[in-house]
Amino acid sequence: MRILELIGGNEDIGRGPLFWLPFALVVAAFLAAPAWLTEFEAYNISFYLLNIPMALGLCLLWGYCGVLSFGQVAYFGIAGYTYGIVAGNLVGLSWGPLAGSLAGLAAAAAVAAVFGYFVFYARVQMWIVPILTLVLTLLLETFLGQTAGYQWRVGSVQLGGYNGMTGIPSFQLGSHVFFGFSFFYYVLVLVLACYLGCRMLVNASWGKVLLAIREDALRTEILGYDIRFRQWATFVLAAVLAGVSGLLYVQWGNYITPTQVGLLQAALPVIWVAVGGRDKLLAVIFGTYALNWLNYSLSSQGNQYALVIIGGLLVAVMLFFPRGIVVSIAEFLSPRRRRSA
Amino acid sequence: MGLTGGLVPPVIAATGFGGERAMDELAVIASVLYQFGTNAAFLLLCALGLIVILGMMNIINLAHGELMMLGAYTATIAYQRGMPFWLSVVCAFVAVGIFGAILERLVVRRFYGRELGALVVTWGISLILAQGTLVLLGPFMPAIPIPGGNFAVGQYSFSGYWIGMIVVCAALIAALWWLYNRTEIGLHARATMQNATMARALGVNTDRIYMLTFSLGAGLAGMSGALLAPTTSIQPFMGQQFVAPAFITVVVGGAANVIAGALSSSLLLSLVKTPVGFLVGAFWGTVVLLLAALIIIRLIPDGISAAIQRWLERGARVR
Repeated sequence: MRILELIGGNEDIGRGPLFWLPFALVVAAFLAAPAWLTEFEAYNISFYLLNIPMALGLCLLWGYCGVLSFGQVAYFGIAGYTYGIVAGNLVGLSWGPLAGSLAGLAAAAAVAAVFGYFVFYARVQMWIVPILTLVLTLLLETFLGQTAGYQWRVGSVQLGGYNGMTGIPSFQLGSHVFFGFSFFYYVLVLVLACYLGCRMLVNASWGKVLLAIREDALRTEILGYDIRFRQWATFVLAAVLAGVSGLLYVQWGNYITPTQVGLLQAALPVIWVAVGGRDKLLAVIFGTYALNWLNYSLSSQGNQYALVIIGGLLVAVMLFFPRGIVVSIAEFLSPRRRRSA
Repeated sequence: MGLTGGLVPPVIAATGFGGERAMDELAVIASVLYQFGTNAAFLLLCALGLIVILGMMNIINLAHGELMMLGAYTATIAYQRGMPFWLSVVCAFVAVGIFGAILERLVVRRFYGRELGALVVTWGISLILAQGTLVLLGPFMPAIPIPGGNFAVGQYSFSGYWIGMIVVCAALIAALWWLYNRTEIGLHARATMQNATMARALGVNTDRIYMLTFSLGAGLAGMSGALLAPTTSIQPFMGQQFVAPAFITVVVGGAANVIAGALSSSLLLSLVKTPVGFLVGAFWGTVVLLLAALIIIRLIPDGISAAIQRWLERGARVR
């Protein structure tokens, strides 16, 4: 009962049966989708979906806690590479991919914990966090880019420099290897779990404290909350969520390159979150899915304006819909607004 | 760079009548100093435009790298049309400065007081600029040959151009100091920085000050890009390589005092980077920059310039 109460709370878009009924229908449609999709289409949709946990993490961090990070792709990359190294060295063992996944998440969390300690416990001004996370991302890309050659290998896995790491094993539970439609379901379940988990978090008292920090950090601190710890913990949680996306990405494509942690990739999560609406989890899901679809459609036609269009979209949204497109639409449609008008 | 001519001969002359060993030692010292100076000059050039804008307006311009790229492109095009190199650099300053003023009028001015919003919107601008340049002008530009030539001390060879850059940096710092402390615009700018509402009440046109400051910062970025253009390959995404050094310098320097922050931070970081870069390699030099930045902000969260500012104010109060 308590769980339902938390999921249904009002710190995200949508309450009551009028929302949950369509929500259940959409989920059901996704569950039934393999009936009419080709395996290739399911593969593409898996890709749009697998970016959602990273976006949710950034949404918690930026929208709910007021801390912007440009470095989520760094944790994405750390988790992906760690999974590749661990699972790649345990090929043939049925528990290898699971151990790799846990190691990947642990690595992302550990880097974020150390980095976050220096940043949040110093109580730096809020513009410093995005800058330093961006620098971390750039350094990681440079480092991974120069790991070409035989001396850069861990066990039997080569890091591969700019060509990236290839032949990363798919995810496996027992004897079942996830690919095709079963991978689609695996992603769907994980994404849904991440969303509902985040929704519970923001409706719990922990989430209310995050909102209080975003609104007025000093006041929250005077009320007796350790804001440094709260910000640090949210930062680590966001890194773990980015790590989930990183794991799903390498399990989806079986490869990863340093470009995945580059400057252009680093911009994407921020764009998904800003365009959707940073202070609502569901809006971020819509934004992430739609923009991934848009980006894929544009760039698969070889359209070199893809980045210009996406950048232009970001500038336009920041200028005209500072709260995000989906949030603005939701506000316009919400019954509460009509009543007050 | 005509300035370097006067600098070089005394060093060589001084080594002329030493023994072989003294010559070697002098060469090592000269080499270390040269490395230190060029690293500091590089960091300062990367960060100057950024820190001018941050210090005045509390806006982080993430399109900074792309403004440097535009400066490099402007200078290259001007140079290809037959202009002398120094005039191409001035062209880059003016052109990117005007571009910055337009950018401020159209976009940036709506984000005053919203730091994170400004960060995100300037990032969108940087994507458009980099990819737009790629689409319009293609992936490559012909390089500008490094002017100034080389000379040798002992077994080490030095680039006259980089020595010239150190001099240019010193001149830039002096010019900025003069602008802020000896002109009416500088006075208005400092007043706006301290208390914008009060400055406006006293008749300072703060709106114009903000536009001029952003334009100046953009122009400085363009000029730095033009000055660094001969030392690197010129392509649409070249701005990325300046992002890490520029932002680390700014974070360490802080925004409390533009000139003191930029100068002290680039000197200190060069002190950290030079030995590591010399012994281990350029990449680890940059890693050490990030580590140093993390440790410094853990100790002084608002940057060295704030510490200097506090120290100066304490001195003033005692007097």
